[in-house]
Amino acid sequence: MTRYRIVPDALSASLSDGAVLLNLYTKRYFSLNDTGSRIWSLLEHQASEEEIVETLVREYDVEKPEAARAVNRLLDDLVAERLIEPTSV
Amino acid sequence: MHAAGVVAPDGRAWLLTGETGCGKSTLTYALARRGWPVLGEDGVVLQHDSIGVIAHGWHDLLRVSIELAEWFPELRDHESQVDWQDTRHRVAVGATFNKRAPVAGMVVLQRDSRDALSPITSTAALATLVRQATFLFVPDNHAQSHLSVLRDLVESVPCFTLHHSPAQLACIDATILGACA
Repeated sequence: MTRYRIVPDALSASLSDGAVLLNLYTKRYFSLNDTGSRIWSLLEHQASEEEIVETLVREYDVEKPEAARAVNRLLDDLVAERLIEPTSV
Repeated sequence: MHAAGVVAPDGRAWLLTGETGCGKSTLTYALARRGWPVLGEDGVVLQHDSIGVIAHGWHDLLRVSIELAEWFPELRDHESQVDWQDTRHRVAVGATFNKRAPVAGMVVLQRDSRDALSPITSTAALATLVRQATFLFVPDNHAQSHLSVLRDLVESVPCFTLHHSPAQLACIDATILGACA
């Protein structure tokens, strides 16, 4: 079960229709749509990748394989941008 | 916040933002000529309190390019005061300045050959502000609270993009007042 932690250099602002993320170290910023914002909020609560997928399947009209691909892609992007990092827990 | 602030006849402020050269000062002067007090031409200080987001002016200066004399003939009276070292050939002009006003809305400006006002989402508006807010990237204890004030702004007022041609110099007040109609 893969879990991630949000790095200390990451700032976020959740909005009604998405979220904006900043990385104070890389000086880059990103915007997320509503679904991405929901995933970020789950990461803030230390949800695992599997728990995030299950939550999206429950809350959105999406099949599990499609949700798993989308979550995995976003997590990869967030890791690449050094906004989150895998934890050993 | 990197924005011009102007105060509408109802006493509420509109923030005009966008990249350098997008027309903030020009449209601010067009509004000042029509009696709208100015909070600032290139920056306002935001405060979020119980009644909403308040914009504070902090620099009583408004400068516009002398090249605008084609549209604003009175600028020719200032020709001797032009700073020719300034690439935009700006001159200080008179305006009424206010100290503060509650914010009514925000407009992201883009120069264009046509005029079009369109609402934008809160997330798009915040991303626009973040792009210009270099102070946000200072890794101190205030970065998150600065970001939160900008978030509160875009969540509490309507936000628009305005593609504007010189035609707006004559009707920017009606454009803004019509934005929320």
